[in-house]
Amino acid sequence: MNLRAELAIIGRGARMQQRVIGALIIRELGGRFGRYYFGYVWLFIEPMLLGAAIGLLHYWRDRPTAFGPFEFFAIGYILFFVFRGILNRAPSAIPGNQALLYHRHVTLPDIFFARHIIECIACAGVLILMLFGLYVVDGSIPESPIKIAAAMALMALLSQGLAFLWASMSYAVDVAGRFLQAITFLILPIGGLFFLVEWLPVWAQEIMLWIPTVHIFELLRDGQFGSRFRAIYDLYYVAGWIVVTHLLGLAALRITRQRIGLE
Amino acid sequence: MSLELINVYKSYPMISGRKVVLSGANGHISRGEKIGILGRNGSGKSTLVRMFAGVEAPTKGRIKCSMSISWPIGVSAGVKPTLTGEENARFIARLYGRNEKRTVEFVESFAELEEYLRMPIMTYSSGMRSRLSLSISLAVDFDCYLVDEALAVGDTRFGRAFAERIERSGLILVSHSPALVRRLCTRAAVLDQGNLTFYDDLDEALATYNAL
Repeated sequence: MNLRAELAIIGRGARMQQRVIGALIIRELGGRFGRYYFGYVWLFIEPMLLGAAIGLLHYWRDRPTAFGPFEFFAIGYILFFVFRGILNRAPSAIPGNQALLYHRHVTLPDIFFARHIIECIACAGVLILMLFGLYVVDGSIPESPIKIAAAMALMALLSQGLAFLWASMSYAVDVAGRFLQAITFLILPIGGLFFLVEWLPVWAQEIMLWIPTVHIFELLRDGQFGSRFRAIYDLYYVAGWIVVTHLLGLAALRITRQRIGLE
Repeated sequence: MSLELINVYKSYPMISGRKVVLSGANGHISRGEKIGILGRNGSGKSTLVRMFAGVEAPTKGRIKCSMSISWPIGVSAGVKPTLTGEENARFIARLYGRNEKRTVEFVESFAELEEYLRMPIMTYSSGMRSRLSLSISLAVDFDCYLVDEALAVGDTRFGRAFAERIERSGLILVSHSPALVRRLCTRAAVLDQGNLTFYDDLDEALATYNAL
């Protein structure tokens, strides 16, 4: 087969996948919130409310530091929400949608892609809204919006790889899904949301830098107020995590697909 | 354009040993053919349907398919109860790259749902649900319709319209009812203890099946 014919086949496949994911997104939106348009608003309000609450809590309680506690915690929480939102919904992704596999061009990864795109759009929307709000209130502008966007994208990709793995595991062993709630809760204090690596003693820095989300939070803060502290992160390490979790996760989904007994 | 079974072997694990559904099946179904596949309960009809639909792979052998085959009609296939009939029709149209407006218009004229088309599926009776899913699959326009069993449409106005529409395409009807196969098909195969035997003569197939 010549190159042109192969490219044509890949192109057709890509268009089909785009169509499938688009259809799944619309279905997911309609189904998650039922008939009420308030549901669409809730998609944005949930992260905004939680982010703002955490931000305000620290704003009132903390001693003044080099950065405003509100922007430190509220913006950080949105990034954490991407992680939490994608992972907490992972165990229900396969059982809730497996009947869709009767349509032969729907694949398991497509189901995840559709859900993750929704999650990312909601969180990116809230992030932009909050940054704009901060600009209106006290005129602060993030130092590098590109780094903030990159942090958001990396967090989404890392969560996606983990979600593939987690969904496969909880499909095989039911209780694995129950542990997840606990694990995303436990990762909250050590995931990088509440501290800068710089604040920690050196021995603790070394331990914390094993956790990939810590690097992503550092990148976020670098984008927000990088000139006011020393950001410590290694994007190659994060990329490694993303690649490995995706490879293992997609392989696990492939095995899971064969085990799914359609009724 | 056809569906071809080449030495297809299918088994799945049971608590002890493996259940064999097909042991080396061969066969050929051309475009436009109406074929019935008869099997007793538990003979593996549903597994066979899923393999024809391309959503479950054979353990060994190949299924070569060069025509468009519907999803198994009669299974709910991801219909979301919180969405309306119209929204579900639009979803399927998007999924298969069909015109949304025309799909909805077809379902509107065919399913006899009236204003229920704009109500969530969870408010439907089971008859309304099956009319909706049948209509949606007819709107997509496949070369061959894969119909699993409980085609509970019977001799109603809708049932007759359905049979008439099916007349224009191919049909693979998997059933344990010889009467239904005789009404809708021109050829048949019998699935029994892992053997899938095709008969060109409908009467011969029905006689074999009745003798099981």
